[in-house]
Amino acid sequence: MINALSGVDSAAMAMTAERMRMDVVSQNIANAHVTRGVDGTPYRRQQVVFESFLKEASQGKGGAETPLGVRVARIDQDQRPPRMVYNPAHPDANPATGMVGMPNVDMHSEMVDMITSSRAFEANLMVVKTARTLAMQTLGIGKR
Amino acid sequence: MIESLFNQTNHVAAKQLLDITVLRHEAIAGNLANLETPNYKRLDVSGEFEKQLQDSIGTGNVRRLKGMQPQISVDETAVASRRDGNTVDLEKELVHLNRNGVEHAVETQLITGGLLKLRLAITGRAG
Repeated sequence: MINALSGVDSAAMAMTAERMRMDVVSQNIANAHVTRGVDGTPYRRQQVVFESFLKEASQGKGGAETPLGVRVARIDQDQRPPRMVYNPAHPDANPATGMVGMPNVDMHSEMVDMITSSRAFEANLMVVKTARTLAMQTLGIGKR
Repeated sequence: MIESLFNQTNHVAAKQLLDITVLRHEAIAGNLANLETPNYKRLDVSGEFEKQLQDSIGTGNVRRLKGMQPQISVDETAVASRRDGNTVDLEKELVHLNRNGVEHAVETQLITGGLLKLRLAITGRAG
């Protein structure tokens, strides 16, 4: 197949990965006050880990590098301990101490993550736009 | 006969430059895709290749010029400004992307200009 829009597949993969990160951020924010997760303990913050990978076997360009794609390698749990809050009236409070374990989600860093993710998404969108411009210019060769 | 028209140094060089621009666009796309990948090293068209291309254009060696294959390699000049070892800088990369786009426009104009002059010479009228 003719690859008229070069570089667009990398950008598409990156946008998929960024969207996944956005999903995880929204999950963290949604669960920021969940004291009873699926395993009965406070919700733990999730974070995505990106990795780059070869899109296809080197197309015989003599050992040259080829642009890498990106994907979500795994979704990790933040291992920091839950934030302890004194609230004896809470049903999940420790009867002896009155402390409640709140999720280790930091709203500020989630917001920063969200904005970074959306900026990265925009950058990749720009690549697609430029690829389109390049292709249109190439198609215009020979026309005045 | 007609081949000689398309074997001029300028025409061949413009074609090679166009190939470089498209390849560089691919490299930049990969770099921007891996903006957040730890330990990713940014790729670019190797600077050595551009030097060789300049040499070939300077000497007017069309055969050598035609045989050249642009390659992507790890950009050794880029330094990591972040602690995750990633050498991609979003702003710089976007500037490269835009400059590359303008370069592409210039090169297509160059080729188009040559072809239009050729048509003018053949038909005797512009357009």
